[in-house]
Amino acid sequence: MSKEIKVTCLEVMSHICDSLGEDLDSERCLDIKSHLEQCPDCTNYFKSVQMTIDYYKKYNVNLPPDAHNRLISFLDLDKDE
Amino acid sequence: MDEKKLIEEAKSGNRKALAEIVKKYEQTIYNFSFKICRDPERAENIMQETFYSMVKSLNQFDGNSKLSTWLYRIVANHCLMQARKQKGKHYISLENDEDLYTEKHIADWDSLPYKNTENNELRMILDEAIQKLSPDYRIVFLLRDVEGLSTEETAEVADISIPAVKSRLHRARAFLRKEIDEAFKK
Repeated sequence: MSKEIKVTCLEVMSHICDSLGEDLDSERCLDIKSHLEQCPDCTNYFKSVQMTIDYYKKYNVNLPPDAHNRLISFLDLDKDE
Repeated sequence: MDEKKLIEEAKSGNRKALAEIVKKYEQTIYNFSFKICRDPERAENIMQETFYSMVKSLNQFDGNSKLSTWLYRIVANHCLMQARKQKGKHYISLENDEDLYTEKHIADWDSLPYKNTENNELRMILDEAIQKLSPDYRIVFLLRDVEGLSTEETAEVADISIPAVKSRLHRARAFLRKEIDEAFKK
């Protein structure tokens, strides 16, 4: 059974979060996906949201040198019982 | 020793087990704290406070959720508490969704020079953008998208409903994307 559902760019943008990690097979998401295939602006939007998430995912920091020792000392776990 | 056993040992007063738990999670907790506050000194302070709370209240940990989820919750509480103390600080309201989608033409980010998050200029843009986001939204974005918790786990950690997680996440993503896009155009 096919149902014609029109999706606007604003709707695509409003529901983009669901297509990024939630219930990908929902009717809504399938409509979004088919809209994305035909709309360059929404494709760019979708890509830039994914890149935003990816940037923050990859921006990691290491524990500073000696922070472990400071933490263990702060918690008083450096002394024998 | 597996984690469950380690927790049992730590609960019964084994300090080596406690130190082992700390060592296992310190990097994750420091990194997450940094991602919320974007400041190395404050991140270390939040990490210390988080583990201090863990040591004090480990007996209350019932094992129904992952230990990491429980620790994320402590970090989130510390951060929200700190944010509430900064009374003069104002964040941009994200109540009106449509303000987030005003562009007529959406740029293709494939042509951007930034491919690597080691780039300092990009790091500055990312830091500035996320610091404009209120901590309530920031925590949801970081837990769900960056740390990869499920929507349900995020709701549990942030102590909000699942629809509230989805709504905050959607607005946070749109806001950050817009902020970064504007910074790229400068």
